[in-house]
Amino acid sequence: MSASTNKIGKGYVVGSTLLSAFIVLLILVVLIANSWSAVSANGWSLLSFKWNPPTQQFGILTMLYGTILVTSIALFLAIPLGIFTAFFTSEILPSKYRILVKSMLELLAGIPSIIYGLIGVAFLSIWVQNVFDLQTGRTFLTAGVLLAIMILPTVITLTDDALQNVPDKYREAALGLGLYKYEVVKYALLPIAKRNIVGAILLAFGRAMGETMAVMLVIGSLDKIPQPFYNVLSSGQTITSKLGREISESSFGSVHFSAMIFMGLLLLSIVMILTIVAQRNFKTEDRLYD
Amino acid sequence: MRTQLFLFAISATLLITGCKKKASIHVSGSTTVLPVVSTAAEKYKLIHPSVNIIVNAGGSGVAINQIGEGKVTIGMASRNITSDEINQYPNVQFNTISIGKDAVVPVVSSEIFEAGIASLTLNQIAQIYKGEIRNWSEVGGPDREILCVDKEKSRGTRHVFMAAVMGDKEADAPGADLVLGSNNEEQTAIVQSNAAIGMLSNAWLSNDVVGLNIIMPDSSIVAPSLENIIAGKYPITRDLLIVIDGDPIGESKEFIDYLLSSEGQKIVEEAGYVSINQ
Repeated sequence: MSASTNKIGKGYVVGSTLLSAFIVLLILVVLIANSWSAVSANGWSLLSFKWNPPTQQFGILTMLYGTILVTSIALFLAIPLGIFTAFFTSEILPSKYRILVKSMLELLAGIPSIIYGLIGVAFLSIWVQNVFDLQTGRTFLTAGVLLAIMILPTVITLTDDALQNVPDKYREAALGLGLYKYEVVKYALLPIAKRNIVGAILLAFGRAMGETMAVMLVIGSLDKIPQPFYNVLSSGQTITSKLGREISESSFGSVHFSAMIFMGLLLLSIVMILTIVAQRNFKTEDRLYD
Repeated sequence: MRTQLFLFAISATLLITGCKKKASIHVSGSTTVLPVVSTAAEKYKLIHPSVNIIVNAGGSGVAINQIGEGKVTIGMASRNITSDEINQYPNVQFNTISIGKDAVVPVVSSEIFEAGIASLTLNQIAQIYKGEIRNWSEVGGPDREILCVDKEKSRGTRHVFMAAVMGDKEADAPGADLVLGSNNEEQTAIVQSNAAIGMLSNAWLSNDVVGLNIIMPDSSIVAPSLENIIAGKYPITRDLLIVIDGDPIGESKEFIDYLLSSEGQKIVEEAGYVSINQ
């Protein structure tokens, strides 16, 4: 390889890294610039519960609450399921099957979200409607269950990796002390892998918050806080479903558009914070191993 | 060497796709007008193979925004353009052309229709959407809670429906249980429920989604039939509109002329709407 090719190669690599970083910054700047007119026109009334574009009321709290509720349901279902599945694939399953099972689980992550959405509309919402004897199956619970399935691969794969990263000497030492398998997991592996598992959950959290298509189709898109507020069997709205449905209806440059962008900015900020915190958990220094 | 070959392949591909580009007309908007325009586009492309017509859904509000922003050449709308929308795009000459007539019909799940609800007054429908009537038994039906299906605020069907029922095209509907978008989505939700009320274009009615007769103030009952729509008796009617910026020119003018021709109007009638000639 001649020196000049090497230089071009280096320039290309550095260039593409800078470009990616620049795109992230650009997106943030665009969102902040476009949401400014909503913030200046509406001020604190953005943090209210009433959303009605014709009367220029843009309260985003209903959508924010919906996002938090749906994400909580998804995490509540996916965390235990995912972590126990990962224990199975990592600790119980013989390693020759592990790759097979894991890659099949990872296939779940590759299914386009619109497919989940269609299954949600056609089957899941009907089941929810019949099981709970509801007027409509398009509810927070339906969206939460669908999201739980969608983030499950993230939780499983990353938790499995976290467990696999624990060196065998800890397992052997624990087994040598005469611990049962579940005790090995509980007292030896879990404390060591804990940070990485928390990181996995935070990444799944971010993914669940940002999911649009599947949620939009099954949540009912009703701008209302459920009555009572923990009633997961009523229809609602999340930030993503609101954006998905209304962004193209709002004219570019209007306060309506700007308020939508403000919601997007809020969502992006939350997801970015989650990702940064999650990355800190995946740091390799101050680890116990080796 | 390999890199050069690769670059050559890419540029060659770009060149070829660049050359083959056909004249294309982008259309988007109302899902009410969509069946007519997409069928017409298919037939038009058979006669004029050099023209490519791309038809997308989105709703009337989307059509008007996209015409305003110059993203599409032809918009489909099932309501009039509001003054806000006109003010939003001062540089655009919104021009609407009617290609047919339609009625917006309050619809119910077939279970409700079979249980005896065949007609309601506009006031009763308004009370349902306001949340004042929550159970079908209050209007003479079975003892079942009403699933009140609303549409997104800028949808053409909703504008026309709310203007007739509530007296304000952008009225709030505090009684709504679900807010959906396209005619298709609305139809699905009503079929899936056994106690739903919603609003649909006349052409989207079926055995599972039944249109209601409307009891007029003089207590005569008007069915959402084509005859009543043609005669102007049915209270919630509207024009199916094509929206363009300025006067139509070139390829899009020819396509619009095709829609207005007797052949195009036949498609309007086959889709379940009323032709402009009647």
